[in-house]
Amino acid sequence: MVKSYKPKRLEEALQIIKNEDCILFAGGTDLMVNRKIYFDDKNSDKKVLFLSSIEELKDISSDSNYIEIGSMTTLCSVEKNNLIPEALREAAKSMASPSIRNIATIGGNICNASPAGDTLPYLYAAQATLVLESIEGSREVYIGDFIKGPRKKDIKKHEILTKIKIPLKEYDIWEFRKVGTRKSTALSKLSFTGLAKKKDGILEDIRLSFGAVGPTVVRCRDYENKIIEIGKDIKIPEIIDMYSSIITPIDDQRSTAYYRKEVALSLLSNFLLKL
Amino acid sequence: MGRDIALSIRRDDAIAKISGEAKYTCDVKFENMLYGKTLRSKIARGKIKSIKYPSLPEGYYIVDKDDVPKPNKLKILKSDMSVFAQDVVNYVGEPIALVVGEDKEIIDNILSKIEVEYENIQPILTLEEGLNTKEPIYGDNNLFADYVVEKGDINEVKNRASYVYEGEYETGYQEQFYLETQGIIADFKDGKITIYGSMQCPYYIKNALLDFFKADSDKIRVVQLTTGGGFGGKEDYPSLIAAQAAAASIKCKRPVKIVYDRDEDIEFTTKRHPSKIKLKSYLDDNFKVIGMEADIILDGGAYASLSEVVLQRAMFAISGVYNIENLYVKGRAVATNKAISGAFRGFGAPQAFFAIEIHMEHIAKKFNLNPLDFKINNLIKRGDKSSTGGTFRDEIKLKEMIKRAEIMSSYNEKKSRFKEERKEGKLKGIGMSLFFHGGGFTGSGERDHIKAKVKLLKKIDETVEILISNVEMGQGAMTTSRKIVAYTLNIPIEKVIFENPDTDRVPDSGPTVASRTTVVVGELLREAAEELKNRWNENETLIVEADYKYPEGYEWDGDKFKGDAYTSYSFGVNVVEVEVDSITYESTIKNVYAVYDIGQAIDERIVKGQIDGGIVQGLGYAGIEVMENKEGRFLQRTSSDYIIPTSKDVPYIYSELLCEPFKYGPYGAKALGELTFVGSPPAYALSVEDALGLEISNIPVRPENILEVLRHGK
Repeated sequence: MVKSYKPKRLEEALQIIKNEDCILFAGGTDLMVNRKIYFDDKNSDKKVLFLSSIEELKDISSDSNYIEIGSMTTLCSVEKNNLIPEALREAAKSMASPSIRNIATIGGNICNASPAGDTLPYLYAAQATLVLESIEGSREVYIGDFIKGPRKKDIKKHEILTKIKIPLKEYDIWEFRKVGTRKSTALSKLSFTGLAKKKDGILEDIRLSFGAVGPTVVRCRDYENKIIEIGKDIKIPEIIDMYSSIITPIDDQRSTAYYRKEVALSLLSNFLLKL
Repeated sequence: MGRDIALSIRRDDAIAKISGEAKYTCDVKFENMLYGKTLRSKIARGKIKSIKYPSLPEGYYIVDKDDVPKPNKLKILKSDMSVFAQDVVNYVGEPIALVVGEDKEIIDNILSKIEVEYENIQPILTLEEGLNTKEPIYGDNNLFADYVVEKGDINEVKNRASYVYEGEYETGYQEQFYLETQGIIADFKDGKITIYGSMQCPYYIKNALLDFFKADSDKIRVVQLTTGGGFGGKEDYPSLIAAQAAAASIKCKRPVKIVYDRDEDIEFTTKRHPSKIKLKSYLDDNFKVIGMEADIILDGGAYASLSEVVLQRAMFAISGVYNIENLYVKGRAVATNKAISGAFRGFGAPQAFFAIEIHMEHIAKKFNLNPLDFKINNLIKRGDKSSTGGTFRDEIKLKEMIKRAEIMSSYNEKKSRFKEERKEGKLKGIGMSLFFHGGGFTGSGERDHIKAKVKLLKKIDETVEILISNVEMGQGAMTTSRKIVAYTLNIPIEKVIFENPDTDRVPDSGPTVASRTTVVVGELLREAAEELKNRWNENETLIVEADYKYPEGYEWDGDKFKGDAYTSYSFGVNVVEVEVDSITYESTIKNVYAVYDIGQAIDERIVKGQIDGGIVQGLGYAGIEVMENKEGRFLQRTSSDYIIPTSKDVPYIYSELLCEPFKYGPYGAKALGELTFVGSPPAYALSVEDALGLEISNIPVRPENILEVLRHGK
């Protein structure tokens, strides 16, 4: 039998993991698939800490600077909550199936650190930061620094991801596009997120990110700044050329490198045409 | 029982399956039962030099080639496959041994410690390699079957043809993906082996085991448990698992259960044969196809299985619904070092119909003809000869069905409207396919090999039990069989009982395959019920039997492939409408319309279930189900990577029946289950072709391939 904990308070949970090495179990929709063994319920000796009873991790709130999303917010709640930016809601809606979205969490999607995690490209683009808490205190880290590679992340054994902070900013032009293997319950072949703000015909800000076309989400603030700087005069082919050098997908069982790159760049081009 | 047999009733098995009460093989536990897990080959081809087993804890066993009777060959049609690898392995995943014991974790642990040393042999992974190899896997020429079918005089036609058109078509793998994975329990007790499990053909297992263990008939018993889908995947393969589980039970003296994990099932069990088909058509001045040469190559995988009969069905279907008087059809099933290609809904016909339907469309385009007019101009009608020179004896309603499908789908209007919309950048397309399916076994299989027998048992309480070896696997056989008997006897349906077959109780009415259960077994049940009706007043327990009789006037020569390959044909017309995304080239299926001639519906809701399910499975085959093999291993081997359609991938399917009854089918019924699969792949491919203005000759039609073609023209 597996030893498990199901604390009701965050502090309790932090206390437990201070002393014991536990698997943090959010929705479990990735964890269960990764850990299954051939036809039975026996799993592993590692202890499991279920986060699902900790209500304080399910809050969604906003002030004048940030929207804060509790890490245990389900994808279904993300999809349906009006406080949450539409592009992220769209991303949540594109994921898995209704039953999975009812239990899968945004924190779980982040900590799974898959190159095909569909909430990630938006969070990169929106410059989201993550709040990691331990019994000693808390720290904040930009999501792009938190995720180090496929399945690799900057989290310590005694830390829990508690909140996702998204800087409050209106983007009047946005797009989220997932290209999956089918229309539901699909993993991404690639995804594209574009956010832009224009004022009086002038581009004030632009954020561009790509999922599943590299080991981690592809986003380049330097290129974005360049687009903003040059503004009107920039030619789309030049932007495509820039991005072409940093989009380096692979061939795998879901798609081809060629398709991923070409379609990612076409989606980018299509978004730029709308500006 | 009401007087309109087609009216739907509540299915017998519905409540247990929906509520979760139904017990599948995975749920069934016997006292003292052990579990078995398979040690599989890690290489595609080689010799086993040595196997080092770790020392086993008490109560754990290894079962391998040394535990089975010689020559360790399982008889499917041929006897080329070992139950446990003898000294060579021919595909990644070929079973070498079973590890058996009580605790699955310990079993896994033992498995991880077994060391197999191989001597690699260059594997054969493509059809080209298989056709040109100097180191055959099978026989001298590496072919499981090599046939020719001829009709008329193709050489004479070559001289007088005004036009010639040639094309090549390819189809890929498809995995059955039944909801319940493969599972068998074997229990050896007092010298008798009993097999329980998920299966389509209890007597196939019994016969394979009788041959394998050289046992007397009363020493092998096979009992079907609730079965969660088969689609052909549980036709031949359960015999292999049953032989392994039986060998384990004999050795361990306890019941042994083997249930496959989903990934194991996807990667290692049988699949649909990939195909490469070349067609060359000869046309006269009026664009009548007067002759055709066909070269059909199927990828059979590592062992013979059912490849020869799959190939036959593909060859006999290759001229489609068209009256082509001169044919030369060459067919080969090639051995390769990949998982075994076996039975799958349609059984060779989907590959053939994909090729011929695309071919006909491409001919029309090449010569600037309206494709549908061109097809109608070449359509078969009653009295015409089939590809094997048999006669289409019944009225063929295809023209009427096409008309109906045109009206239902607004085909012609959409065809021209979409052309305009495409100019504005909306990539919409529509495609139509015409097809048939021959009911029951190909050739004289029913008469010479199966010889089906059914029994009805009338009890004192005036209930009637159906005793047949056909199984309910989700397709509704339990309900339709009961309806036929209740309707014939004119008694309430509740009075007719159908239990899962047990070979100690039921006669061999044949396997649950080839869309034969209603048309062949159903007719025998009707005959038996007629007899029982006449003897209803004999006041005692009564058994009546009916045996298969080959319908009068039909002929078949199995050596020359001449005559009536089938006694009945069901027909279909499918229309598929898609919109292709102009950036990603993903297709969205907008509408599907279908018209079928199935003779007579035995239960309208079950028919609708087969129609919707068959069409969706065909759309998956043509669109998103990709299975590629690289260096002997499949790349798509989990349910997250091998993708089948969800409810979001298909729209509502509009379907209608337009039936010509079959004299020798129960109340006129003809084949249904496989027919519904055959038409949607070509209709889908043609709709994508229409949307993009490209020629599509291969399925699955992946967005990746479309992009390549658009950018590089190939």
